[in-house]
Amino acid sequence: MNMSNATNRTDADESGPEQPEARVGLRYTLSQVKRDPTALAGLAVIAFMTLVAFIAFVDGVLFDFLSDFTFFANLGIEQYLLANTFWVNPVVDGTGQILRPPVYMTNQLYPDQPGTWAHPLGTDHRGRDVLIRLFYGTRIAITVGIVATGIAMVLGMLVGAVAGYYGGWIDDALMRGSETLYAIPFLILVIAFMTAFGRNLTFAMIGVGIATIPTFARLIRSRVLSVREEDYIEAARAAGVRDRDIILRHVIPNSFAPILVQATLQVGVNILIIAGLSFLGYGAQPPTPSWGQMLSNSRQYMLPNPWFSIWPGIAILITVVGFNLIGDGLRDALDPRINN
Amino acid sequence: MSEPILKVENLKTQFFTEEGTVRAVDGISFEVNEGELVGLVGESGAGKSVATSSIMRLVEDPGEIVGGTVTYKGKKIVDFEEGPDGELRRSPEMLSNEEMRKQIRGREIAIIFQDPMEALNPVFKVGAQLREFIEINRDVSSKRAKEIAVDMLREVGIPEPEKRYESYPHQFSGGMRQRVIIAMALACEPDLIIADEPTTALDVTVEGQILDLVEDLQQKYNTSFVWVTHDLGVVAEICDRVNVMYLGEIIEQADVDDLFHATRHPYTEALLNSIPRPDQSVDELNPIKGVMPEAINPPSGCRFHTRCPEARTVCKEVHPTYQDVSDPDESSHFVSCVKYEDVGYDDAESLDTEATDAFSGGLVEARGDGQ
Amino acid sequence: MGRLRYTISRLLQSIPVIVGVITITFLLTDAIPGDPVQIMLGPSPSAQQAEAIRAKFGLDQPLHVRYFNYLFDVVRLDLGTSLYYGVPVTQKIAERLPVTLYLLLSSFTFALLTAVPLGIISAKRRNKPTDHISRVVALFGVSTPSFWIGLMLIIVFSFWLDIFPATNLILPWESPANVDGAANQLGVIAKSIHHLILPTITLGTLQMAAFTRIERSSMLEVLGEEYVKLARAYGVSETKIVRKHAFRNAQLPLITLVGLQLTGALGGAVLTETVFSINGMGRLIITAIQNQDFQLVMGTTLVFGLVFVIGVILTDLSYAYVDPRVSFDGSE
Repeated sequence: MNMSNATNRTDADESGPEQPEARVGLRYTLSQVKRDPTALAGLAVIAFMTLVAFIAFVDGVLFDFLSDFTFFANLGIEQYLLANTFWVNPVVDGTGQILRPPVYMTNQLYPDQPGTWAHPLGTDHRGRDVLIRLFYGTRIAITVGIVATGIAMVLGMLVGAVAGYYGGWIDDALMRGSETLYAIPFLILVIAFMTAFGRNLTFAMIGVGIATIPTFARLIRSRVLSVREEDYIEAARAAGVRDRDIILRHVIPNSFAPILVQATLQVGVNILIIAGLSFLGYGAQPPTPSWGQMLSNSRQYMLPNPWFSIWPGIAILITVVGFNLIGDGLRDALDPRINN
Repeated sequence: MSEPILKVENLKTQFFTEEGTVRAVDGISFEVNEGELVGLVGESGAGKSVATSSIMRLVEDPGEIVGGTVTYKGKKIVDFEEGPDGELRRSPEMLSNEEMRKQIRGREIAIIFQDPMEALNPVFKVGAQLREFIEINRDVSSKRAKEIAVDMLREVGIPEPEKRYESYPHQFSGGMRQRVIIAMALACEPDLIIADEPTTALDVTVEGQILDLVEDLQQKYNTSFVWVTHDLGVVAEICDRVNVMYLGEIIEQADVDDLFHATRHPYTEALLNSIPRPDQSVDELNPIKGVMPEAINPPSGCRFHTRCPEARTVCKEVHPTYQDVSDPDESSHFVSCVKYEDVGYDDAESLDTEATDAFSGGLVEARGDGQ
Repeated sequence: MGRLRYTISRLLQSIPVIVGVITITFLLTDAIPGDPVQIMLGPSPSAQQAEAIRAKFGLDQPLHVRYFNYLFDVVRLDLGTSLYYGVPVTQKIAERLPVTLYLLLSSFTFALLTAVPLGIISAKRRNKPTDHISRVVALFGVSTPSFWIGLMLIIVFSFWLDIFPATNLILPWESPANVDGAANQLGVIAKSIHHLILPTITLGTLQMAAFTRIERSSMLEVLGEEYVKLARAYGVSETKIVRKHAFRNAQLPLITLVGLQLTGALGGAVLTETVFSINGMGRLIITAIQNQDFQLVMGTTLVFGLVFVIGVILTDLSYAYVDPRVSFDGSE
């Protein structure tokens, strides 16, 4: 959405005609989205990815759970769990044929070992199945993208609402603070944050969440500034309704539409940021599979097995396209100007 | 009087939307004579603006002119003929888009828009915008165009025109901007100016000044006007002849005095009753009942029958003919109402509508959903 | 007069942001666990040695004293000495910053030169095949990880086709003596551009896509404005309407976005430099963080912040230049 200029745009500008007036209501939004084929395509992509992520999650939990019981282990039940078979099983890990190409492809380095159906997308540098690792990577990508967005959204709404509602020095201080956050490139801010507090996925999510607070803060603030001027807010205030209730009952619900659009698009952006972090070694730590880390690993093997570098990128691309399609669809549905 | 400079016959413009075809202008006919100020009146949504953009051939997607003829000084702005397969198609005489742009727009017919705050480009100086349009439409040098522009700004009552020539639009007030737009129209020396609700966005005192200005300049330059408005007060003040539009059709047309004093159509009657007049008190004001139905699905028969206080059963079935019903002392007085036709109005039973007394409140609620 | 005053007020407004950047970086680096002295002197330094180093770098002072000392140093343009490289931070930055700026400038040029025409054509041919293609390209552009584009470009253009180099970046003003196979300055420039192409596409694709999207939507909006309709009604040709009457207005949202994209692009530069092994600011800061070189981390972050702030001020000024409503006191 429109993020007005980082440092100097007047309030009137931010709350002006650039922000489409929200035709609020979840039901209305959904009914509009239903008529938009691109948004539906996006929804389909994300639904599929979420399903994949969910299966991977359940499978991982089952593996952890069952492997604690020798009874199940003796039954050989873990044989049927994807996680055990392909992911962290130390037997398969490392002994599988390394850097196998996808089905029907040959590898320049090992021409006598073409791809097989056993590993449709080939294997990585440690002989692990690329498809299965992509599969588990979905879980990380989607969870992390959504959680980081959620953190940014909640904190950003708080900061933006307080700044916009109270104005004055509180507004100045909060907005200068959010500009400052914005002035440091996300990636560097998050890397420094992770170095200080912990180099793992949790702090990656928190870091990305904090780094992207300004996006939401600015959005909410501009909404608050425009809603604050509405007559019914004046009336509520005159009737003695408390500030907190005004923000919670009127301002936030009124900003529902633009926040939803921004949040959907932000999930895509966050997936890209976290992939970049993982690529630099600041994301999920091995052996947990993540797409960025797979790409990072693949760099050393690009010449013998370029396929290894292709798949994770495509997985990221498809997921982010999905979120962007939904976001665009929502925006079109909620913005009458672009949608006729 | 000689041949009219603008002749609109049976003009039809439709919008092809997902929900269906909107017949925004549905077969309107009127004329504008040289030096005449013709009014086009109606509620919002009646199709007035679509009618004017059709005359300029500036209808935007998904709208399309689908039939009728518009003749300007013998040139066919819109003209259709029947093709070999019976389909209507553009006739060879109809001006091409390029001809419209080069020969008609600005040069022969200029337009004044409703909102002066939006009609000037905020990033260019006012003078430069004026100069460009003058250069294009009068084939003069840039230097001469500037002289004309400054003269015209002075003419429309802008103080210090040389200085204001260099100003940006945001440095002007709304009334001043509308004066600039009027200067723009007159400076191109068109023979016809279409004014699309030019004073609606202005406050009343400014509106009065602008109307006086237009009257003076109209007499001085003998320019013809099509004046689009929803305000009968404005019509009474400046127009010579008036067309009343309802749902894409012109339902009454007469000289301004006849329209006000020998009103024929119940809709015009209702419009007149809804505006304050010097000889009435506010209590006597009688607003029109209901809201105009959407043009996508107009009522059958007479389109006004759903809100007509005089509606009878026949109104629902018969589409009235647009015909001259002038008295011997009138020049011409067209009206489209079954009351003046021999289709059995007098014998028909009165119809329950939003406006008749027998009508109960329920329908208003139900119809409200559709809006 | 309006513009000068506007410029000065913009510069003044950015001072708190810069102080904020210093504060955040200072607190974050302070929170990083590990002892920089240990890194410098090895695992088991003698107590005297350690004390000497601490005193030399002022590390024995409490936090707030160090913070204000650092602020004063920054005002004197002294960013301290890099623990890892053993040279002044400013020297290291002077060495690396031009590389990153060169890359940034080239990607933004690439992005703008492709996005503006693409967005305009898309808007003019709305819902026609050209529009659909350009929208799909833009959608994929904003959805693709930049470093992956880099990897793909290397595979195709460096490994398979062997037409562009996969590593390093040469500055055009480098001396010919330092550049392999360059006979004169012209040769250096040619080499420089040759090396620049893949990194430019890598870093620029995201910006290009984002710019195309905003250019299209703002052009569509402006083409529906009353003043465009008025120009049309006065016989101005469609070409002239797009090139003159709509063009300037349609660039306003784009100008704002260019400033905002800068922070993302600086982050993207870190990845692009990693993929192409370019020794710019991005790799410098990663090295600095990994080696707990606090002075260098703070110095580089400060410079990143400055680049962003200056970039935003420049875009604001161009906004004010294009839109007279911003810098002039209107009569409204």
